[in-house]
Order: sequence, then structure tokens, then C-alpha cells
Amino acid sequence: MAKVEVKVCLGTTCFVMGGSNLQELNEIIPQKYGDKVELNAANCLGLCSINWEYSKAPYVKVNEAVVSEATVEKVLEEIDKQLGN
Amino acid sequence: MFIDIACSQKKKYNQNAYGDYFASNRFPNMNRIVAVLSDGLGSGIKANILACMTSTMLLKFMENHSDIEKSCEIIMNSLPVCKVRGISYSTFSAIDCFDDGNAKIVEEGNPDFIWIRGGEVLKPEYQSIQSKDFKNRKMKVYNIKLEKYDRVIFCSDGATQVAMGSKRYPLGLERSGLIKIILEKLEQEPEISSKNLSEYLVKQIELIAPNRELKDDTSILSIYCRDPRESLIFTGPPFHGEKDNYYAKTFMEFKGKKAISGGTTANIISRELNIPVIAKLSMNSGKLPGLSEMEGVDLVTEGILTLTKTLEYLENGNAEENAAKTLMDFLLDSDVINFLVGAQMNKAHYDPNLPIEIEIRKNIIKQMAKVLEEKYLKKVNVQFV
Ligand code: FES
Repeated sequence: MAKVEVKVCLGTTCFVMGGSNLQELNEIIPQKYGDKVELNAANCLGLCSINWEYSKAPYVKVNEAVVSEATVEKVLEEIDKQLGN
Repeated sequence: MFIDIACSQKKKYNQNAYGDYFASNRFPNMNRIVAVLSDGLGSGIKANILACMTSTMLLKFMENHSDIEKSCEIIMNSLPVCKVRGISYSTFSAIDCFDDGNAKIVEEGNPDFIWIRGGEVLKPEYQSIQSKDFKNRKMKVYNIKLEKYDRVIFCSDGATQVAMGSKRYPLGLERSGLIKIILEKLEQEPEISSKNLSEYLVKQIELIAPNRELKDDTSILSIYCRDPRESLIFTGPPFHGEKDNYYAKTFMEFKGKKAISGGTTANIISRELNIPVIAKLSMNSGKLPGLSEMEGVDLVTEGILTLTKTLEYLENGNAEENAAKTLMDFLLDSDVINFLVGAQMNKAHYDPNLPIEIEIRKNIIKQMAKVLEEKYLKKVNVQFV
């Protein structure tokens, strides 16, 4: 089965809007999914400036799906969905 | 030739004020640096005031090329007198030094400075001047010519007298003991910076002190003559997007050490030069985003948050282990620091709903340049692009 790729945005906007809490994923994901999920960080994904008035940072990408106003729970939910759990 | 200068200090055990005081000033246009290390009588706040007054006054006098003898008399006459001992006293070492190596050194009461060239300690000649008003005070005046790779170390007597009365050091570490430690360290690390050397020495002295409790304030002022180390920090997207490529190339072609402070800036350089930038989701980065990696660049950090923290650390002198500390160390390891500051409004930050006012890059860099120049005696160039 193909790996799920998770990209956490650590750009300034995402970081101050709550992205800092997402660093927990670093521990949770390997524990929970082993090597089924690959976790990466990214600099500004460019999402926060597109529609900035309605910015829903922090953003996380799970494969091509964008999780906005991301929390640890929301990201795990999306991973589960993509893994078909 | 660049004069790398740094001072490291440690308070007497259980005191809350430093009794030694270090003051210095660099004049980049005149290629000149002036520095004073003073040791106030006793310890604690009283000593601190004496030493601080001595250093700052002497620094001003020296800066203005006043006659050093007269200056010293004026200072001694104006120091407050200690009620207990009925004397006013602070010893000092002062150096006025030019990039071409010409230096004037004046000492009063502090241990003789240590001048090292090629692993040997030199013995310079001096002129001795007796104070008119104060019978027990004598100044030594040296006019010396420093060469590239020379080192000059000044210290307060807390350094040479440490552990006095102990079995191993009945007379304290003494100047000869200190020299031994310095030469050993220089053999291991011939290119060690002044900052690291002075910190190392103070640490060693503390280790020698019985129970690691220093009986006196201890300061090491280190000077190292060498080629300047240059660095370039690129922060913020350039104002004219069509020049991105030009600036990315300019940045990469720079010979010294390179840092990028800003995710978007890193993305731009990555895009223009086709070098991938890899962000790291590191666990211990705490309240700041961690570092990224990019081939050919020594350091890549997030922008505003990290810069703000770095500025705070530079101002306060203490730091936690994180990206801002890494950036601070990067800056302090350079002598000539160049900032390339992109002046484009970062769209990502122009959100009135953001919890912090974030479009402040220019101001942060301006303040940072000021601290680096005034407190850390660096040469700083800032270019807005
Ligand atoms: S900072 Fe995350 S999308 Fe811009």
C-alpha cells in the first residue's frame, strides 16, 4: 500500500496560528502508524496568503488533501480516512 | 587585520553584582577599538560601582585621546571613597588598538597582560608612571605593535589568585599557571575565537577554585588579531520579484558563511537556483519553528519569530537551545556581518487578525545591527533590496 505523506507547514503564519502544537505529531505518528505514514515539515505552503482575509492557518497537507485550522486530532482523522481505516 | 575581542566574566560566589567591569567601543571608520577592564575594590555592588565608573570614564578619555596620566588622576580623584577602608580603589587594564596592529596599553594594578605570538609569551617594554596624588599607585604604559595571529589576554586578579592557599596552588594559579592553560588550549585549537577562549578560561578557573566557588570576581579579556570572518544573512523577499534570481545568485556566490532567515526567502532561493530546501520537524525546537536545510547554505531558519527571539537573546546575553540561539551563535562567530533585507511586504503576514504585529522585519534588523555593533563590536552592513 502506498505511504501517506503528511506535510506540516511551519511557516510563520501557520506556526503562530497554532502550528507549534503540531510538533507533537512527531511522536504520535511513528507510534501509531509506524512507517505507513511519512511525516515532513514544510516552509510556507503558500496557502495562508491566497485567501488571507479568511486565513484558516495552520495548514497541514495529507497527501493532496489540505487540512485547515489543523489540530492533532484533525490530522489523525484525515490520515485514518486516507488509510481507509 | 581584524581585532577579535571578547570578555568573559564570573561573579564572586554568592554575590549578585559583578565587581569587575568591561567596557569597549569599536570605531569601524577609524579602524580602531578601545577597551577597558576594571576591577573594583572588594566585591558586590560597591566594587561594581567603582569598576563601572573607572571603565566608562577611562574609555571616554581614551576615545578622545586625552592624556592618559591626567585622565587617571582625574578618575582616582573622583571615585567614591570606601567608608570601611578609607580608600577609593579600582585597578584597570586599558587598550587602544588599531587594525594595523599599533596598540597602546595602560595597566594599573591588574595582573600584567599576556602577549602570545607563535606559542611564545613576549615580554614587552614599558614605561612606569607614578601617580602624583596617590603614592601607592603606579601605571605601566606600553606601546606595542601587534602582528597577525597575535593574542593578548588581560585578566583581573581573581583569575591569577584563584585557589590561593590550597595545597596544589599555595600562591594561587598565578600568571604562569594561566599562561600554561592558555598555551595548551591554543595548541589544541590554534584558531579559537576570543569569545570561546575567554569563556573557556573562566570555566577552567572556576573548576580550579575549591568547591568551584570563586573567592573573587574573575574576568578574562581576550584579543585575537586575524583575518575577518564574514557572513551574509538573507532575510525577506526582495521588493522587486523580477530581481529574485539576481539576489539569489549574489547570495550563493558570497564567499563567507551564509544564512537565510525566512521560510519564504528560502523558498525563493530554492526556486531560483533549483536547490531543494528541506524543513525539519524537530521535537525540541520549543516555541520556535526548527531549522531547515539547504545545500551550500550554513543555516536556514524561519524569519520574524526567530529574528525577534535572536534580538532578545543578543540584548540579554542568555538564550535557550533553539533556532534563535543557533542564529545568535552564527552571528557572534562572525566579525563582519552583512544583512540583505528584502523589503517586500510578506503577503503571508499582512493579516490584521494575526495575534502579533508581524511586519517588523526592517526594524528588527536595524535594532539587531545596533546591538551587534555596540554590544558585540561587530562591523555590520545592512542593505535593503
Ligand atoms: S505559513 Fe503555512 S501556508 Fe503560509
